[in-house]
Amino acid sequence: MRLLISGFVIAVLCLTLQWTSPAQGKISEEKITVLSPVGIPPEIQLKPMAPRLNTLSGKTVYLVNDGYLGTDILLGEMQDWFEANMPDVHTVYKEKGGGGFTAEDPALWAEIEEKADAVIMGMGH
Amino acid sequence: MAAVVGHCINIESKLGVPTVPLIISEFYDQVKNHHTIQKGMPGLRVTYLIPPVWGKTAEQIRNDIVGKSPVSGKMIMEEIEENLIKPLTAEETKTGTIKPSVGPDSFTDTPDNLQRMFMEKRMTDYMPIILPTEEKVADMLKGTSRDPDEIVGRMAAHTAMPGDNNVEVFEHWSYTVKTVAVNAVMAGARPEYMPVLLAVASTGKEALSVSDNSFTEGLIINGPIRDEIGLNYGIGAMGPFSQANSTIGRAWSLLSINAGNCGRVGTTYMGVVGNPMNWNNVIIAENEEDSPWRPYHVRKGFKPSDSVVTLCEGWGVLSAKNSRYSVWEKEMDFSGTLKKIVADQDMLFGTIAVVSPPVANYMKQEGFDTVEKLTQFVAAPAGGKAPPPKAKIAPPPGQAKLPRREMPFFMRPPITIVVTGGANNNYWSYGGMACRQSVSIDEWR
Repeated sequence: MRLLISGFVIAVLCLTLQWTSPAQGKISEEKITVLSPVGIPPEIQLKPMAPRLNTLSGKTVYLVNDGYLGTDILLGEMQDWFEANMPDVHTVYKEKGGGGFTAEDPALWAEIEEKADAVIMGMGH
Repeated sequence: MAAVVGHCINIESKLGVPTVPLIISEFYDQVKNHHTIQKGMPGLRVTYLIPPVWGKTAEQIRNDIVGKSPVSGKMIMEEIEENLIKPLTAEETKTGTIKPSVGPDSFTDTPDNLQRMFMEKRMTDYMPIILPTEEKVADMLKGTSRDPDEIVGRMAAHTAMPGDNNVEVFEHWSYTVKTVAVNAVMAGARPEYMPVLLAVASTGKEALSVSDNSFTEGLIINGPIRDEIGLNYGIGAMGPFSQANSTIGRAWSLLSINAGNCGRVGTTYMGVVGNPMNWNNVIIAENEEDSPWRPYHVRKGFKPSDSVVTLCEGWGVLSAKNSRYSVWEKEMDFSGTLKKIVADQDMLFGTIAVVSPPVANYMKQEGFDTVEKLTQFVAAPAGGKAPPPKAKIAPPPGQAKLPRREMPFFMRPPITIVVTGGANNNYWSYGGMACRQSVSIDEWR
């Protein structure tokens, strides 16, 4: 008898819970489909690195200043270092033109292609 | 930094000349894990320096370069030589094409799980979004007559502008009208905002710039569109007091994150201290009706009946001013105060003055019946005299052989004056922003 009454009470409780909050269980399980907000990335073209030199001795190294503050001092110190430690390396200091860090300088690029064996460029601040 | 990487990659690949970019070690992750890969030369041989370089004396820099690299531990000058002479590895000589994957076109899960997923995948601004179901996106697309699959623009963390003769420093992603709509849904925008959002998106201008300046972006919106979509240009004009004001800027930021790959801290976002205005950017609908001057877009050559959006960038609208106490009318000297601010505060990237209608009217009474006259007055040197030529900066000892770069490498900073806000007091705001590009909203209806 006691078992019967307990079972009845439990059943009533379960029914009550379901009646009072039927939607909650449903919403938490319902799945929806949403669209991706992501754009289209570009393909990446792997570019060939330039062949390395056998040696720096006797070569012309362009020290190119991209324009960030302090780069002139940095490259000046490097130029002094080469003069003192590797005097057979010919260094040429150049300031990239064009009006900003990202600006192209076609005249400088043409000169580099013609005259430079290597380039050291600063500075990524 | 990205410019140096970009130039060196071009010199190597196009000119066949080996290079060594010099970069401070703070940018190692960004260079190694993003830039060199995205620009197609993951093996670029970089030498990293102890930061900062800017501001150090010649002696300090000299000590640094005869020391060790903070990344590799090798002696810096020896590493530079090695980078130029050590033969390339097989990996470094690879060529070919890599097609990045961005995942599926859609996601299916419970709303709670989707909210969490969007945030974990950094497709949000870390705030809850409106989930972009097919139905919601289709509804948003009703706000424009454009084809959903039409490519609207290309964007990067630092977008190259058309006509720029600049090296591309960040990869440019593309996006369609539909992509703009998805991000607009996420931001809580309404379909009628789509012409504004598409006009902004068509410029490719990123809302989250990579710059270490911690830029924010801004929009000045003019024309009939303001009332059509409920933009607020009265009390609280620059604040979150209408759905349009609150969500247009947010949609732009979300689009920049998802369709421009912007805002990734450490790779495509490097703002040193960040900017609280990035949540929604600075959205200004001009109060054309209460302004004593021609509207901003008319001054830029548009018709009064055109709906136009102008894009601005800078440190943001930073401070506010009111009138001086115990003085009246011309003595309040609003124009003189603005002139002093421009002269004193060195707004490197331009000055914006957001002027309430009463203050604009006082400025007009001070003798400036056009914004052009006011701008000329504000920009002119004090006392009407040209500033003395800058003294030549003497190079540091031992550096006499090098020419010193004396010209500033930034363009002359512009001054922008725009009227908005209420008439309940004599307040106005100002900050460091430059407004440069105005585009039609109407063509995106």
